[in-house]
Amino acid sequence: MQRLANLSAARTDAGPTAIEVAGLSHVYDGREGKVPALEDIAMTVGAGRFVVIVGPSGCGKTSLLMMLAGLRRPSEGAILCNGRPIPSPDPERVGVVFQEASLFPWLSAQDNVEFPLALRHAPRAERRRRATDMLDLVGLQGFGGRYPHELSGGMKQRVAIARGLVQDPPVLLMDEPFAALDEQTRMTMGHELLRIWSQTLKTVVFITHSLTEAVYLADEVLVMSARPGRIIDRIAIALPRPRTYDMMATDTFGRLRDRIWQQIRTAD
Amino acid sequence: MRRPRPVTVRRLLIVAVLVLWEAVPQTGLIPELLLPSLSSTLRALIADWDKYGEALLVTLYEVSLAMLVACGAGILVGALVGGLKPLRDLLLPVFSSLYAVPIVILYPIFTAWLGIGSEAKIAFAGVYGFFPVMLSTAAGIRTIDPQLLLAARAMGATVPQQIGRVVIPASIPTVLTGLRLGGALTIIGVVVSEMLTSTAGIGYLVTRYRTILDSAHVFAAVFMILVLSILFDTFARYIERRTMVWQTAGRRERTDTADRRLTTAPAPV
Repeated sequence: MQRLANLSAARTDAGPTAIEVAGLSHVYDGREGKVPALEDIAMTVGAGRFVVIVGPSGCGKTSLLMMLAGLRRPSEGAILCNGRPIPSPDPERVGVVFQEASLFPWLSAQDNVEFPLALRHAPRAERRRRATDMLDLVGLQGFGGRYPHELSGGMKQRVAIARGLVQDPPVLLMDEPFAALDEQTRMTMGHELLRIWSQTLKTVVFITHSLTEAVYLADEVLVMSARPGRIIDRIAIALPRPRTYDMMATDTFGRLRDRIWQQIRTAD
Repeated sequence: MRRPRPVTVRRLLIVAVLVLWEAVPQTGLIPELLLPSLSSTLRALIADWDKYGEALLVTLYEVSLAMLVACGAGILVGALVGGLKPLRDLLLPVFSSLYAVPIVILYPIFTAWLGIGSEAKIAFAGVYGFFPVMLSTAAGIRTIDPQLLLAARAMGATVPQQIGRVVIPASIPTVLTGLRLGGALTIIGVVVSEMLTSTAGIGYLVTRYRTILDSAHVFAAVFMILVLSILFDTFARYIERRTMVWQTAGRRERTDTADRRLTTAPAPV
């Protein structure tokens, strides 16, 4: 409770906060006893910000994201999402997009997007309308009747994004959503995500292995250390918006990318 | 010249077998006692249709009940074993090894317990068909992509919703394959048990006519079982295809739908 009080007191700086994490640690039971996975994580994500988390494999990035989504409980510490704890998944506050698009193969794209609404027994007409709007937003108008196996990798991720956004949550969590895509598709999808983000004004927490992607997308990059995961650097990305592909060739972009790389290398 | 379609070739082969079945015994190359011609087989079937019809009803009755037992128990036990880890660790190795045992050796025990009427056959065939249904149901549930369940949880699905909207639809294809195999085994189980010890059914007719060396009547009974099994398999495959569109057809069609799309409209990546 002490920590929660501190959090509220600290929330005096600019703008409303979407996510606040304080003193978060996690220990899990491995084969050889207790394994510390996350250590003393503290982070604040302002509403509408795009934050990217990078770090070596197995540093607990995904665990952290699961906790932000209410899918896993940390051993210690507090998470506030829009000012309230998130002890269990709440798709009206937090949408999640996974690495493998995780679409249900027996449902059409439209039905996949409607799935979270169907769980809440929303009226059929409203489900249709909202899902269609979301498919339009992600650039898939007319593809609602397709089944996942009839869609390319990038299109599947678009459906997954539409599904994550269909209940209009203020926060979208993305766990390496484009990792399985080829390079060109990945670049296009990153650009598309920025467009969707700027249209919907969501807060995005995005995990990636790609440093280029991190710099290209983020307002702020959080660098995590190897296990137990700690946040060892916070790098503000001061590149102007909207981002363009040309920026990748600039010195600023290269320097930022390099700084992250140095951090990760020493952290590993 | 265009290569004939596989379907055409398959049909021609069936016709060829039927023609040979008629022609070879007619020429006297094989005596009618060993291989009665198609026409004498059909004649025997028609002449004694009342007997065959009655036997068919008995067999169908036993097969239906045995399938009900096999599918019901198989799906129930399979779901429990596949879904609950302690049960799985305890039972799955046992069931897997039991599957390899020739269960037909148990039939005498079933007749001792239940008599030589339909009950013993239903019980025996039910047990016989139970294993593939149970094992594939367990496998179907165990091999569900955990990411799908995680996604459902992230969307706020309750446990009953996870079962109803993810576990069941995701395991249907594997379960159906098990039902097809299990169904075929119950037919085998019923016929075999009828042949061993019984007083009715098509299997019984096979045994009875064989002991009096009436080959045409034996073949007529065999023919009926053949038709019965093929009908069941065709029906089961049809159901499987209907429900598995997304699983099997998808892999094959993905490339050509993608190509077609590229030629018609610019698609988003």
